[in-house]
Amino acid sequence: MTALLGVAVFVFWMWLYPQALHYHEQNQLFLFTWDYLAERLAVPGGLADWLSEFLVQFFYVRPAGALILALLAILLQRAVWTAAGEHRSLYAPSFIPSLLLLVHMGDVETLVSFPVALLVAVSLCPLFCRAGWHRLWLIPLGWWLVGPVIAVPALWAAVAGLKWQDFAMLAWLAVSVYALHRLLADQYPLQDIVSGLNYYRRSGVTPVLQAVIPAATLLATGLCCLRIRTRHPRILEAALCAALALGTWGGVSASCDKDTLETIAYDWLIRNERYADVLKRAEKYQPRNPVSACSVNFSLFMEGQLRQRLADFYQCGTEGLVLPSIRDNLSDITSAELLWMMGMPNITLQYCFDLQEAIPNCRKSGRFTARIAECNLVNGWYARAERYLDILSHSLFYRRWALDRKALIRDESRVAADPVYAYIRSVRFRNDFITDYAALDKMMAILYNQNKDNFMAAEYYQAWQLLKQRRAGHE
Amino acid sequence: MNRWIPALFAALLLLAGCSGSTTRTEALPDIYPDYIGVTVPAGIAPLNFNLPEEYDRVFVRVAGSRGGELRARGRWAAFPIRKWHALTRQNAGGTLTVTVLGHKDGRWTQWQDFPIYVSDAPLTDYGVTYRKIAPGYTTYSHIGIYQRDIHSFVEEPIIESTLTPGQCMNCHTANATDPEQFLFHLRGRHGATMIQQGGAREWVTTKTDSTIGNVAYCYWHPGGRWFAGSINPVRQSFWTGDQRTIEVFDLASDLVVMDVRDHSLVVDPRFTTPDYLESSPAFTPDGRTLYFCRAKAFPVPQEVEKIRYDLVRTSFDPETGALGDIETVFPASREGHSISFPRPSYDGRWLMYSQADFGVFPISHEEADLWLMDLSTGETRPLTEINSPVSESFHNWSSDSRWFLFSSRREDGLYVQVYIASIDEQGRCTKPFVLPQKNPRKYYHNTLYSFNAPDFTKTRVRFDTRGVYRDVFSDERIQSTVKP
Repeated sequence: MTALLGVAVFVFWMWLYPQALHYHEQNQLFLFTWDYLAERLAVPGGLADWLSEFLVQFFYVRPAGALILALLAILLQRAVWTAAGEHRSLYAPSFIPSLLLLVHMGDVETLVSFPVALLVAVSLCPLFCRAGWHRLWLIPLGWWLVGPVIAVPALWAAVAGLKWQDFAMLAWLAVSVYALHRLLADQYPLQDIVSGLNYYRRSGVTPVLQAVIPAATLLATGLCCLRIRTRHPRILEAALCAALALGTWGGVSASCDKDTLETIAYDWLIRNERYADVLKRAEKYQPRNPVSACSVNFSLFMEGQLRQRLADFYQCGTEGLVLPSIRDNLSDITSAELLWMMGMPNITLQYCFDLQEAIPNCRKSGRFTARIAECNLVNGWYARAERYLDILSHSLFYRRWALDRKALIRDESRVAADPVYAYIRSVRFRNDFITDYAALDKMMAILYNQNKDNFMAAEYYQAWQLLKQRRAGHE
Repeated sequence: MNRWIPALFAALLLLAGCSGSTTRTEALPDIYPDYIGVTVPAGIAPLNFNLPEEYDRVFVRVAGSRGGELRARGRWAAFPIRKWHALTRQNAGGTLTVTVLGHKDGRWTQWQDFPIYVSDAPLTDYGVTYRKIAPGYTTYSHIGIYQRDIHSFVEEPIIESTLTPGQCMNCHTANATDPEQFLFHLRGRHGATMIQQGGAREWVTTKTDSTIGNVAYCYWHPGGRWFAGSINPVRQSFWTGDQRTIEVFDLASDLVVMDVRDHSLVVDPRFTTPDYLESSPAFTPDGRTLYFCRAKAFPVPQEVEKIRYDLVRTSFDPETGALGDIETVFPASREGHSISFPRPSYDGRWLMYSQADFGVFPISHEEADLWLMDLSTGETRPLTEINSPVSESFHNWSSDSRWFLFSSRREDGLYVQVYIASIDEQGRCTKPFVLPQKNPRKYYHNTLYSFNAPDFTKTRVRFDTRGVYRDVFSDERIQSTVKP
């Protein structure tokens, strides 16, 4: 059964929901530096966060990401089973936390640090049951390292021991949280500290499942110890597992927002230059929002079909070609990409900078940092580019690229020999003026008139006029 | 005898460390930050520095002209704080001579010694305050207002955005560096102007029916009853070329004065006309004159390059808050320049300001430089001894006006750092030094923050963050009124 769980979770992330892996990876930049570790450990729950980010960097490679999440699910299930102790009998309930996590992670803003923290906490249950007065230091330390889910082993030890000292430890947990908050984390609201700082990407928001899952974990551990008298224990287990699987399927379907999923999927495909796949998906279903229109139109252009098939897909005016600056970490990615290719590196720089700064939990992004560095390289702002490339050189998957780009710094001949940078320098604006989104079509016209090779500017200009006329016609 | 042992040991170390071939060169060492020839106050945090990365070891000897010696060795030059303090205090008014040896590829190189001058003017303020924010565009993630003890490396947050998610905090303003009276503006859904006096906080909504927005760039009246502020809806636009990135401008800009006793605003129509933009007010130490910048308004962003601010002033009555006539002090616009952030020194001797080619936001203007006006003669000059080819802008005086700090993008044209320099009675400035850090290259090169709106703080800022959180989200605000 455990192996089946692993396979199911792997299949889910590998083929049904791979874009979420990409989204997680894109919204963090794990660095192999002591400072990075220290920065994480400086806040409650920091170790779980650091471990999670370490794992999430591997999501850059899809099978690795799916494998990691499958392993986490298996390990959590086994940890719950182990925590149930010697008197355990029912196996099926031990799957509940892993399956609930799968439902919870259907929301792409749920961070991997939550399952990591829960896994560590549940694994500590046997230790907490034996630790006695050592819990006096284990509880505050555990809380600082993995966050509020440390309540799970503290509570389990109390329930298992049923002594007054065990329940006094729960009071000690509350005192520890309050004291550590006042002493070391007073720049965070107490309610964020209590609900967990790094379990969800948006601060100040605590999803219901984030509170339900630790409670369900305790309950599941308890249920494993239930002794049900039946002649057919295998049938009972199988029935329970089937019910859990069905429930999970329903839960996942309910927790995933289809439009968000689709939008992220387009971005993931575009990043991997799979433009035809974007169009295939959009032919089946396309969210009716400007972000999806922008991605589909860009894919149409890359497939050489922008003029011919513009009317085949959802359109929402000129916004569906290039989006204005929007303060979130997703909407402007495709616009940034296409403006980069069209020869507007400064707007790309602005968009990428804002996309990165809009990551709700204030993390940096390898993808955006790389593009920011490139924009600076193209502009000849080498000292700035060097700063970003040096940061990337401490990562795993961007390191080689960063070192390769760093060789170009202050070497005009090498920059000129780079086909992408040389092209962008050749098509970019020759005059310096202030950009204006409302006049973006005129800016495209300037680019094309400057350099007739810039057929992207010409095609987008034509599409812009067409969509403008169509919208005017509707109005 | 005992006191010779460390010296003997150090000499042996020097010999051991530098055994083998040592190359001497007449060039000065390429140290980071550039502390060569800077002037520092006694008791400042140690001026730790790095050699270029290819040097795996460094050996440094610092000898005082009035006695004392200090050595450091390791991956970079890091001096013990207490010994550094003792050495600089012993040599106040004198010179520290720094000998640097760097080790690379099995060979030592010894460069020409360089001096660090220790001023006889002490810098008694506790430290500096600044806002850390990612430099650039319209969005921010993590920002905070911090205080830094300039005698050590201790930095602590006053308030960070983690405490008030979704709220951006504006420049904080203390009264002549004294944090007993300070304010900052919080933007966002729960926005308000926080005024703290003697530990008590008030959250004031400074927007009224008669004004165009909340008060931003503020400056305390020395008497503490008033503060002046400009109200400016700020917007940003972006350049297409490869010389500059961003242009920050005000859609409109008015000047008001607030009475903190009853939270009433002095709104004078001469200072709130839509035809002119008024910005960055600053009172003189006697509290009877208010300097500010004023420009003719043009459509923005189309004609942003035509907006040029003059330095102007008006009289101020501390009893009633009444403003006088507007008098142009320096018509910079006539010469094709624009002035920002006039800051009179607290002793009333000087006025320092930023000058750029146009606009109100010199931080994003490469050509922006600091200028100094002698308030006794009205003579003005660029501070060539501290300016660089890129932007110098936001500046403030120490409480005794013998030192000043300013923001500069000289490092890489984007990330702003804080520099400190001294000024003598003739208005001559010394070579500035960047705010010292434990490991400067690592700190400054790895950070993705700019040090924004720096100021000295006479004492450590005390701020009850728990109470602030409660206040912000309670939305209990004092509504300011307009003085009749």
